[in-house]
Parts: sequence; C-alpha cells; structure tokens
Amino acid sequence: MKPADKKAYDKDYAQAKKTGKPFFPYAIYKDTVIAGLTVIAIIVLAITIRVEVGEPVNPATTDFIPRPEWYFYFAFELLKIFANQNVLTPVIMATFMVPNILIILLVVWPFIDRGPERRIWKRPFALGLTVIVTGLLCYTTWLGANSPAGVASQGLPVSGLDEPATKGMAVYMANGCGSCHMVAGVGAPGPGPDLTNEGAKGWDNAKMIAWLKAPKAPMPSYASLPPQELEDLSTFLNGLGTKYK
Amino acid sequence: MTTKDIGPKNPVQKGTEATIDYVDERSGIKTGTRWFLFRNIPAGTSWFQTLGFTAMVVFGMQAITGIILAMYYVPDTKGGAYQSIEYITNEVTWGWLVRGMHKWGASVMIIVVFLHMARVFIWGAYKYPRELTWVTGSFLLLLTMFMGLTGYLLVWDQKAYWATVVAVNIFASAPIVGPYIGDILRAGPEFGPATLSRFYSIHMLVIPGAIATFIGLHLYFIVRLGISEPPWSKRRLRIERDEEDARRAAAREKAKALPGSVNYPASWPVEAKEGAR
Repeated sequence: MKPADKKAYDKDYAQAKKTGKPFFPYAIYKDTVIAGLTVIAIIVLAITIRVEVGEPVNPATTDFIPRPEWYFYFAFELLKIFANQNVLTPVIMATFMVPNILIILLVVWPFIDRGPERRIWKRPFALGLTVIVTGLLCYTTWLGANSPAGVASQGLPVSGLDEPATKGMAVYMANGCGSCHMVAGVGAPGPGPDLTNEGAKGWDNAKMIAWLKAPKAPMPSYASLPPQELEDLSTFLNGLGTKYK
Repeated sequence: MTTKDIGPKNPVQKGTEATIDYVDERSGIKTGTRWFLFRNIPAGTSWFQTLGFTAMVVFGMQAITGIILAMYYVPDTKGGAYQSIEYITNEVTWGWLVRGMHKWGASVMIIVVFLHMARVFIWGAYKYPRELTWVTGSFLLLLTMFMGLTGYLLVWDQKAYWATVVAVNIFASAPIVGPYIGDILRAGPEFGPATLSRFYSIHMLVIPGAIATFIGLHLYFIVRLGISEPPWSKRRLRIERDEEDARRAAAREKAKALPGSVNYPASWPVEAKEGAR
C-alpha cells in the first residue's frame, strides 16, 4: 500500500469508528449468541455421537490401519498423490515441500497481497484462491473419509505362488500392508506405492529386508517381524509382477 | 420530591466503593475496563465477525474439559493410559460427556478457526494496518492443528498409535533437520513410554501456553487497531455512491468544456435525448 492509501484508510476507519457504536453491548451480544450456540452444538454432538474406546496399542502387531483425524485427511490424500517414488513426484513433495510452502504462504500472505482493495469481487485472484483452496480441502477430506480401510481377508488376485510366497502373502495380509498399498487392484491406493510390479525392480531378499526394517518415511519400520516372516514377505514382494501375477 | 441524605451510607456499599477506589488508584482498572468495553467499533460490524471470539470460547472449553480429563488420565504405556481412558469413559460420573466434549470440541475448533480465517481472507481484513494480526492468527491455526496431532496419541489405541507413528515419520523425513525433529518428538529413536509422556507434556503445557500467548497478542492487535469494517457496510456503500456521483458530474463538466461540443445544461443525458428527437 502506498502512503497515500494508508492515510486514506486511516482517515476512513477513524470516520467509521466515530460514527460507530460501543463494543459493549453490541459486539459482545452477537459474540455471545454465536459462541453459546457453538458450545451447545458441541454438547449435543458429545451426547448423540458417543466417543468410543478403541483397541489397546500393541506395537508388536503391525496389523493396523494408520488413519489420522479427519482434519488431516487432506495431508493424507496428498501422500497418495505423491505415493509413487520417482523423479517427477517424489514423496518428499508431499511430506516436506508442499506443506511447508503452504505454511509459509499462509503466514506471509499479507506481505504478498498489499493492494488497498478490500471488496472481494474486485480481487479476482483472491476470490479464485478462496474457491480453489476451499474446494480442494473439502474434496480431499471427502476422499480421505471414503478411502478403503484395508484389504478383503480372502487374499490377493495373484497366481503362481510357491510355498514361501504363499506364506509371504499371509504375512502381507496379517500386517495390514494393504491399508497403504495396492496389489493388482486390491488394497488402498495410497499413501504407499502400488506394488503390483514390485518384482520388476529386481531386488534381492537382503535388500528388501533391509528396506522393510528401515523404510523411507512415512512407512513405519517392520523390524519387529520375525526373520522368517521377513524372508517370506521379501520373496513374495520380489516376485510380484514377474513370478507371481 | 427529591430524596434527602438521611444519614451515613450503608457500610457494605461504602466498603465496596472504597475497595474499588483503592484498586483503581493502583491499577487503573476502571479506566482500563471502560476503555476496553466502551471503545467504538464500526456500526456495520457483522455476525461474521463473531467467529474469532467463538474460537476463543471453544479453546476455553477445551482447557476446562482438558483439566478435568487430566485429573484422571495416566500417561503410562504399560496399560495405564488405555485403562484411564476406559475408566473416564465408563466409570467416572459424566466422564463420557467431558471426553466427548473435548473430542468434538477439537473438531469444532478446527472448523471455527478455518471459517474465521476464510472470513478475514474474503474481507481483505489482513490488509494495512492488520498484517501482524493475521500473522499471529496463522500461528494460532498451526498450533491448533498441532494440538489435534498430539492429543490424538494420548488415547493410546491402535488407530491413534499407528497414525502418530506415520505422522512422526513424516516430520522425520524432512531434509537435514528431519532426523533430529523425529528424535525430539519420539524422545529417542523408538516409540515408547518417553514418547507418550512427551506428547502429554506438549499437549498439556507447551501448546496451550503458546496458544494463550498468541491469543493475547492477537487480542492486543485487535483492540489496538480496532475491528475491521465490512468492505460493504452501509457507510462504505454510501461513500462509494457519492464518489461515483462525483465522478459522473466531473465527466459531465469535462464534456461541457470540450471545444466544439454542444453546451447542454446540467441534466445532460435527458436533454440530449430531447434534442435528438
């Protein structure tokens, strides 16, 4: 804003204040009504939709569905968009770049948009941004709320399994891998990458076990699994798309 | 008929007045309250401008329900945390209600804070002179999200545990400082008892303190700078109409002064039409 604009605003606001009305009771009255209704709404929600006690934590079983609270669904969906690790869409975009850029933009926004205009219909860029950001947040939250929770228990549509791979698939199913990964169209489409053609990478079991013990974020470590299960799981994963289709 | 002074004042009233005067003399409380409550705000101040106060009230409610929950909660990973949540939900009188209010309050607070931000954004209320009010407010939004993140783990059930493991992994994936942030959040390389007490302390002491501080700053800015006026208040619309009229009049004057133009009277458009007929 130019100094002349600032001066004009100060003068205009002083005028608005002079012809205004006192904070008490006019603003306080409206504030109390809305805040009171909000607190009543919270109490009604607490009474009608009771909060459950979930299953107790067991860090040894990795049979879990990592789902955040609904207000983090948008970040969760962002992980899915960048699930496949390649040069164009690395996971670091979803876990670091995009969130931090958004946070910085949020904090410094008043220093970017410094024009004197306040009427929204004369600020087409700000209006567009409001619509797009609100729309994206609602859409991704909706996607997160409707994302499949896990894999059906009967198994994966993969054939040609030998004995270690059958055991490996059982380990895969028992440890909830399907709540983040997809194999041949079964399982959640993210945050983890699609594993249908995992075998095409040509990894050996030692490399896969090392990865399972210390994977790249946000995937949690599976170091707590017994060595034999890790071996079987690796055999299964390293053959996906090549030996087992 | 006027009432006559018939003797010494009621001693209670006298004492109260004397106490108020004593405190006011030393703290300026009377002037301060008057300055705060009876300061003028623009006449067009609208219902949309109640969301900030509402967010503050919900935060207050979260603080009260949180204090009650803290009376029963045990941050113990060997079953204590989970059992205390069960105890609050099933045994404590109205414990289920307090826990429900705290849980729903978190969701409602996120919604109210977001709507408040949307209102400020759409109205351009973050513009001069209120830029720093926006900055403190944006920190309040981030702190509110962190409150949700840290509180989610405390119930210590499978869903919360694994979601938080993934969330902390995300923080730890940041380049250079990531691993250190991960270790600080987990209180070590692994999730364990120290992680839960750390999240408990962050959720109950660190973030509430930060939120209270930023609410203080936010309020200071609001009271000092005054609440913004709706860009389409009656007063603003009247000024815009007057400016538009003045602009039209000036354009008419200019047209009149142009050489070779017909010298129409003030009500030019009507006259021009009649002239053409």
